[in-house]
Amino acid sequence: MTDAPSTPTSPDNAALKMVSNTPIMSSSPLRSKDVLLPLARVKTIMKSSPDVENIGQESLFLITKATELFIMYLTKLSQRYGNDQEVEYSDLAAVVERKDSMEFLQDIVPRKIKYQEFLKMMEEEKDEETDLF
Amino acid sequence: MAEKPEDLHLPTTIVTKMIKDCLPTTCKVSKEANIAIAKAASVFVLYATASANSVAQKSSRKTITGSDVVTAMGEMEFDKFVRPLENSLAIWRRGQQEKKDLAAKKKAIATAMKDDEPGTVDEDNQSVQSVIQID
Repeated sequence: MTDAPSTPTSPDNAALKMVSNTPIMSSSPLRSKDVLLPLARVKTIMKSSPDVENIGQESLFLITKATELFIMYLTKLSQRYGNDQEVEYSDLAAVVERKDSMEFLQDIVPRKIKYQEFLKMMEEEKDEETDLF
Repeated sequence: MAEKPEDLHLPTTIVTKMIKDCLPTTCKVSKEANIAIAKAASVFVLYATASANSVAQKSSRKTITGSDVVTAMGEMEFDKFVRPLENSLAIWRRGQQEKKDLAAKKKAIATAMKDDEPGTVDEDNQSVQSVIQID
């Protein structure tokens, strides 16, 4: 599998390389024609998308496969952004914040702030408003 | 069509297993992270479906095809998935063709066996009988 022409050292490329170059067992989702995720459930989710009319069998298979790749990719990226011992929620939030391709997840995996930071934010907003009048 | 909320999410047990399998055994994953990844994956299905659907609609089609999905990956900035998906698709298509061929073969054998049943008159049986007949 030839790699896309990009710097090999950036963490996301390394993570992707890990995904595509990992020694593959024949049962691994990357090589196999089988999928691990249940097709019926994926189809249900697909159908809940507005305006979708018909779903071809091949597209159901590919979306399921793509989702499996996505899970592995997101997991490996999170591991690299955090420490190698444990993957925590904050690692995920960091990935979502920094990667353009993960922008669609900004509301799903938001960065968490401490309650005190939140209070401070609210205070600052209130001050801005009082300055207006 | 009433859908239970859990129907719109991927099964967490399967997602958790996938997460574990792609990490070294020494690396742990927090419960919160597990749930978030599963949720993100469900949202990915929706996002990918919407993107692939809009590719299909641009070509005035009502059915989402495999190639629409591949095109969508590029538009979603997941170009890196394109190659592995094309490979998987090729392997899957071969598998489907093998299934069809096997089904066709089975059908042919079943039909042939039916023709050999006793009571069916055919040339071979007649010639055998005429050889065996003892007058």
